[in-house]
Amino acid sequence: MRNKSGGFTIRDQMLTRKPIAILEKIEENLEKLNEKMEVMIEIQKNSGDHQRSAVALPDASLDVMTLLSMPDHLRKTAMAICRCGRATADEIAEQTSRARAVESAYLNQLVLMSYLKKERKGRKAYFFVDNEARS
Amino acid sequence: MRKLSRIIAVHSYKGGTGKTLLSVNLAAAFAKNGKNVCVFDLDFRAPSLFAILKVETAEYWANDYLNNIVDVDKVLVDLSGKVSEKGKFYAALANPATEAMRDMSSKDRKWEMRALGRLLALKETLLKNEKFDYIFFDTSPGIQYSSINAIVAADLVIVATTGDRSDVDGTKRMLQELYNLFEKKTVLVLNKSLDASATARKAEMSAKVKDAYQVPLLGVVPCFCEVLRAEGNFIFPKDKPDHPFTKILSEMARKIDNNEVN
Repeated sequence: MRNKSGGFTIRDQMLTRKPIAILEKIEENLEKLNEKMEVMIEIQKNSGDHQRSAVALPDASLDVMTLLSMPDHLRKTAMAICRCGRATADEIAEQTSRARAVESAYLNQLVLMSYLKKERKGRKAYFFVDNEARS
Repeated sequence: MRKLSRIIAVHSYKGGTGKTLLSVNLAAAFAKNGKNVCVFDLDFRAPSLFAILKVETAEYWANDYLNNIVDVDKVLVDLSGKVSEKGKFYAALANPATEAMRDMSSKDRKWEMRALGRLLALKETLLKNEKFDYIFFDTSPGIQYSSINAIVAADLVIVATTGDRSDVDGTKRMLQELYNLFEKKTVLVLNKSLDASATARKAEMSAKVKDAYQVPLLGVVPCFCEVLRAEGNFIFPKDKPDHPFTKILSEMARKIDNNEVN
């Protein structure tokens, strides 16, 4: 019984240590995949008139006239990031009262359009207005 | 409780609607109540705050702050004694030199984007640690970079309008086509009203404005000859405490301070 119980503890340890690290890695990769899929879905959803705007512009700047010419759904996100300077999709979602996944997609779309830059720190992705342009 | 509307932009569709006099006197009404205020002249095409406040020259101008030449404290002129007896009253003036006006009208998109960043940064530099309670942006009329930057950076926009038909139509269009896009908290001031009894008919006027412009009414300012003639010779809340204009300004300041502008 004791032996059995002891054996169970070792097996339990084996089961918990490595697998947790592996699961975390899988979760992280799934999140990355999810973000990419969200971007693709969003771009597809807003295709047509706005598809051209999703193409990166060489002199893209997030100025007020650009904000004005943006489709409503992107303007809301862009305005929020202008106010924050630097933020995660979670922080933007808090400001816009929209879902994190939606904001993540819009933020990534703004990155694709060269209006924003993205930086990963650990498991968090930070979005910000191009520093070089701001300095 | 933290105030929600601490950066206030005063804007209008047309020029001559009384933005500068309204900005200065409304800010002075706040200062009279012990609030620390700061007024920025962002009308770089036609600077006028320096004339209204009778400041001959400044070491640095609001232009220099937006041009990233100096920090904001260098451009603030202390006019506390002159304008207010209680709260602090500071001003950042637009440079009236022709060369400066020309320079400000030839900025590119990147510069305008950085200028917006500088205006947004005022929240950190001026409003944190209770340095100032309110910041006012006196803007250029119509739709152009400097005024839209001010609108985007503000928490509340006061749109001044007169009874002039071309102003009424243009203001309506501007509110629908510009302000709606930015989802900005906006209130209207009917300025230089020729209907002297309008101020007293608060409920009726509020309903009319809400119906016509789709934004709340902050106040009605009748056309006072003394105000037009004053041209900054006196700051009403300080120099004319019993004048009806001062009472209207105090009521506006109370509404904003108590967050009763919706």
